[in-house]
Amino acid sequence: MSTIERITQLSHRIFNTSVTEKSVARHSNPFAGSNFQKNILSELNKDVFVSSLAKDKVSLNDKLTASSKRIYSTFVGSISDFGSRLIDGIESIKAFGSRMKEGLVTTWNKIQEIGNTEVSLEGTKEFLSRDIKSFMINGRQREITKMSKMDPHTEVKPMLMDALSSLEADMVHAA
Amino acid sequence: MERSSFKNNKNFNRVSDIIESLTINPSSDSIAVLEEIGTNSSIDEVRELTSRALVKRNEYDSLNVVISSRGKGINDMSTFVAMSTINELLSLENKEEAMRVLENTISSEGFDEEVKENARSVKALMALS
Repeated sequence: MSTIERITQLSHRIFNTSVTEKSVARHSNPFAGSNFQKNILSELNKDVFVSSLAKDKVSLNDKLTASSKRIYSTFVGSISDFGSRLIDGIESIKAFGSRMKEGLVTTWNKIQEIGNTEVSLEGTKEFLSRDIKSFMINGRQREITKMSKMDPHTEVKPMLMDALSSLEADMVHAA
Repeated sequence: MERSSFKNNKNFNRVSDIIESLTINPSSDSIAVLEEIGTNSSIDEVRELTSRALVKRNEYDSLNVVISSRGKGINDMSTFVAMSTINELLSLENKEEAMRVLENTISSEGFDEEVKENARSVKALMALS
């Protein structure tokens, strides 16, 4: 091809735009002619923006490649998946709420049980305090009995004097 | 120190336990210890405990200390101690020994008139009780 022929072709391509415009015209609707989960919507053949070229572009829909359809399908599928994920999320929130509710009920029951246990512990506390008191009294009584068998002059008298000295010291401190 | 606070004092409880042990000690030496240490204490509560312990023993020698001794038992300067001792005498189930000591104190020449007067009053109360 000579240089002149190349220039002629180039000028033809530059200045004769009618053919090129027809071929590059696009639908504003990206889903036109797409397969939505195997349901082809015929109305999608129409452009969302009314155009005088609409009827001429019908043939372009047939030129949509399989890969494009797959992409659209994937996109729609992803929307569908998003919906199902959203539903799953809602379901999980519901389940979480149910678990929380169950947990609260269980906790409340536990609190009630603890409350009831505390009531029963009161009895135990009384029993223990009574037992400790009786132990103390018995211990004191044992000590008195033990001292009553000691010699009054050599053993008990010094103890009494010591205890009295301590008591008098307490009284001085208290005063 | 207030009278009510003695109950919570550890040393007072210790003194009380020792005096109680001397109350049930079968040895007559206990009376001497109680008289020597307890009735001469400067603390009213200790003297009161000692006087009651001597009455509880219900022996001639122990009763003689709280009835015939000047400034002890029913003759104590503290009304609290004297009244507690009289109450203990009135609470005795067997007053026989106490009455004997009181009669001896009233009839004896060796005691002060004040001691005799107190003995007469207590004897009258015991006769009525």
